[in-house]
Amino acid sequence: MSEQLGDTGIPAGVPAVPGGVDHPRVGVDEWVASHEGRREAQKGVTGALYRAWDRIPAWGHLVILLGPFAIFPFVANEGNLFRYGLITILYALLAMGLNVVVGFAGLLDLGYVAFFGFGAYLYGIMASGHSGHHLQAEIAIPIATVVTALVGLLLGLTSWRLLGDYLAIVTLFFLQAFVIFVNNANGGPSDFSYPFVGKVDITGGANGLDQIDPFNLFGYHISTTKQYYFFTLISLAAVMILLYFVNESRTGRAWRALREDPLAAEVMSVPVNRLKLLAFMFGAAIAGYTGTIYGAVQSGAFPGDYDVGLLITIYAIVILGGLGSIGGVVIGALVVNGAPELLRSSENARFLFYGVLLLALFVALRPWYRPVIVLLGTIAFGFVVHAIVGAAWSRGTAGHIDGGGKVGRALEHWVLLPTHVNRIAGWAYFALICAALVLTLIHGWWRTLALIPTLYLVAFVWENELVQQVSGATRLILLGALLVVIMNVRPAGIFGTSRVEIV
Amino acid sequence: MALILSSVHLVTGLPLAIDWSLFFAELVNGLTLGSIYALIALGYTMVYGILKLLNFAHGDVYMVGAFIGFFVLQWLGGPLTPAVTGWLAVSIMFAVAMVGCGFLGVGIERFAYRPLRNAPRIAPLISALGVSIFLQNSALLLWGPEFRDYDTFDLIGIKTYNIGANFFISNVQILTIAASIGLMLLLALLVSRTRAGKAMRATSFDREAAEMMGISVDRVVSFTFFVGSALAAAGGVMFGIVFGQIFSLMGFFAGLKGFTAAVVGGIGSIPGAMLGGLLIGLTESFATGYLPGGATYANLYVFALLIAMFLIRPSGLLGSPAIQKV
Amino acid sequence: MPLLELKDISKAFGGLKVVDRLNFHVDEGEIVSVIGPNGAGKTTVFNLITGIFHPDSGEIVFEGRNVAGLAPHRITKRGIARTFQTLRLFLNMSVLENVMAAQYGQTHSTSFEAMLRLPRARREEREIRKVAQDKLAFFGQRLAGYRHDQMAYSLSYANRRRLEIARAMATGARMLLLDEPAAGMNPNETLEITELIGKLRDEAGYTILVIEHDMHVVEGISDRVIALDHGVKIAEGSFDEVATHPLVIEAYLGARAAPEAEAV
Repeated sequence: MSEQLGDTGIPAGVPAVPGGVDHPRVGVDEWVASHEGRREAQKGVTGALYRAWDRIPAWGHLVILLGPFAIFPFVANEGNLFRYGLITILYALLAMGLNVVVGFAGLLDLGYVAFFGFGAYLYGIMASGHSGHHLQAEIAIPIATVVTALVGLLLGLTSWRLLGDYLAIVTLFFLQAFVIFVNNANGGPSDFSYPFVGKVDITGGANGLDQIDPFNLFGYHISTTKQYYFFTLISLAAVMILLYFVNESRTGRAWRALREDPLAAEVMSVPVNRLKLLAFMFGAAIAGYTGTIYGAVQSGAFPGDYDVGLLITIYAIVILGGLGSIGGVVIGALVVNGAPELLRSSENARFLFYGVLLLALFVALRPWYRPVIVLLGTIAFGFVVHAIVGAAWSRGTAGHIDGGGKVGRALEHWVLLPTHVNRIAGWAYFALICAALVLTLIHGWWRTLALIPTLYLVAFVWENELVQQVSGATRLILLGALLVVIMNVRPAGIFGTSRVEIV
Repeated sequence: MALILSSVHLVTGLPLAIDWSLFFAELVNGLTLGSIYALIALGYTMVYGILKLLNFAHGDVYMVGAFIGFFVLQWLGGPLTPAVTGWLAVSIMFAVAMVGCGFLGVGIERFAYRPLRNAPRIAPLISALGVSIFLQNSALLLWGPEFRDYDTFDLIGIKTYNIGANFFISNVQILTIAASIGLMLLLALLVSRTRAGKAMRATSFDREAAEMMGISVDRVVSFTFFVGSALAAAGGVMFGIVFGQIFSLMGFFAGLKGFTAAVVGGIGSIPGAMLGGLLIGLTESFATGYLPGGATYANLYVFALLIAMFLIRPSGLLGSPAIQKV
Repeated sequence: MPLLELKDISKAFGGLKVVDRLNFHVDEGEIVSVIGPNGAGKTTVFNLITGIFHPDSGEIVFEGRNVAGLAPHRITKRGIARTFQTLRLFLNMSVLENVMAAQYGQTHSTSFEAMLRLPRARREEREIRKVAQDKLAFFGQRLAGYRHDQMAYSLSYANRRRLEIARAMATGARMLLLDEPAAGMNPNETLEITELIGKLRDEAGYTILVIEHDMHVVEGISDRVIALDHGVKIAEGSFDEVATHPLVIEAYLGARAAPEAEAV
């Protein structure tokens, strides 16, 4: 049978479709083979964007992603450069390492930020006023990176035979162990007494290891934000390039095979356990390196910085960008760090919040008249409710919005602002969650209508409750919700490819 | 012999002579704490048995239960002036917390886990992480970081009984241990004697086959989450009663230790969860009392126990080793 | 000396003895089929040979050296590769990548070299790609060039089976263990597979051990047939000898069928 098929795959004797190359040769092997690709290609604007992105070569991706970062210092002031620029790049670098462990190799490491802390503390031990040593950066940084990688190796040894879920718990515990250790290793009463040396102040305890030296790289001092910014940006580019090459190599393939099916990979000559260790070491090394930068930038290493909140943030970055996608991490960092930073000041926060709400509304609801109806309906609904409540119960609308300018004044007439908010706010929050969940259950016009009171409720909860806590709890609430939503709606993230799994 | 004991003493700091009174106190404390961990562990083990999912949010359900109990008490008039007698108030607290958290658990499953039932393993884990953070910080936002006090002493009066001259145990500790054992027995009865329990067992063996036999897997899963969350809530209220203070972030470590207990006892095994819980509680208690580092490092000793268990016997004390068909 | 020899292999799970003091051998260049009813322990034998399980007792001697107890990836590097009864491809990788991934054990460049694009890494990468294309070319038009960059999950069932064989070939093995290669195939595809297995031995020089239920395939390819039941070897010989063996008939059809068969 196979001998009868010519080069084109058409059995001999079957006429080709008249008209030549432009007509699809339906039914022929090759056409069938390409059908899958066509079916999966996305439609519309996003589809075109993705296809354009795929056509650009890899170094083009790098330039597009990091180019804006290179220009940023020349257009931003010091404070913005630090908050939006440097921290974003640091997080991106940190998330690169996590991407190797979780995205490339598929291991769930919930203790990752401990390596970050290791790097910072190790550098601090080698170069700080606190410890009394002042090694130069070109010596201290590699040492810290290598030692952290070795610690990653040790922790990875626990993954030797563990199922993914158990590995998660063990690594999470490791993070707790690290935090407890650095909180107490200051030679004080709760510290261990080591053989030969007795009690030693290693980490400065709860106050942290302070007075860390700025980088002294072969004599060149890095101390301003701009200098650290460029140093970190170059590091990020270098790490991205190196990881790209590794991903394309036999190691990257082996990691992907391990992620797909560890048993099949093992039988296909891939030494699974060794590769898991390698992934752990890569991740730990990158985290450790980033830790040294962070320690120098902060001029100190403090236990409170390396907690589960940071872990969730980095995970959100990796997941949002797409597990396994190097470029996606950068986008993820921009979104996850940029957005909450914008939210820090109340006025910006307000604009951003309502802006995003409007944008989401118009993106999610099609055709165009639906979001318009919802918008107008919500505004009308709001005024009506405000009027009724204002008439019936004056304390319900007596509150003020601080610092909102003209928008704030307008909002005061629309949103309910009770003077004694606390108990109502709690119930409103609860009601909002219930409403949001119910919204996912109903469809069609009912959903569109139900959006109106829900949006009003959102504004209520925002103005009365969330806006005050923007830097702390709110940020993590949004990140937590983001994780759940991403997993449900688009588990592959922005740049990840949708995976097929056979359970 | 004396040489061995003194060298042990020099190296570890363990006392030479055993203070039995302290020993007993730590024992009781460990059992009490362990009973609470066991209740949390039961929820973990049941959910893992059916869905093979680590429900990270479980510890935070425990926390919510403790807070519901607290607010119910406030609503009843507070510990000093309750509208009903102390013990009745406590019962109402339990009931409301357990039912409330039961529904919370069902809701979490419905919205965060059910859509991901056939997704790659990592997806529901990440979703669970998200829910956990969401709950923790919502509690932080609404109720603040301060400690809230159950004021049990005012509510029902803490009576301390003594056995002999040196050994003390309080009524709330007895209540906790007894109630946990009672709840576990109830659960065991539920799983082994009722139809719902049989459905649960069938689903945990083979989800697809159970569905084909007419069992509604969705309902079984919801039921499991309800029961597991209710147990965790009971644990939360008990914690508040015995230890007095609750706070928004208490679910994190309790959840971790509850999971450790479930694994140590053998994940998927209900008596294992109870055994594991007691073991973890005792470890924490005795580590606080006896080992160097004391309370600060007690969690690390629990951690070490977990690692040891993984190395020696990965399927846990009472678990059965999983055989994977290739 | 036989290429592969199982000496007194036993394996029990809990109280159930799945393989009981099994002895057989495969000579170089042979195609040997293993048959038996479901639950006879056939796939377990494959798992034992490839190191997924370790035998409780006995030796598995390949090329003169005992491989029992080694990690699977080492056994594969020694020269034994397999396919799975229920396909286990790397679904989210392309066809070519699946075959390239299996060459990990044959190559040596480290991730360090890969990062810096050192010559050895680049050279090995080219070689891996070439070998993968060669192995895929063995299957003719079925896994031809345009398929190479397609995701494995988009392949048809028969093509997936072929890909798994290609992947096993890419490990550099001398001996292939094929676990029910014709399962779920229609008569045309079954014929293709039968020819393919012959081609694997005749043109590519593999020694092949096959588990198969389809007796047409077994008859068409086997130099020798081994029949297992309840973990024990009950017959060995040519296809005709085994197919008419009373114990074999009893295993498949039940005790009462055996004397009737003899009368036929």
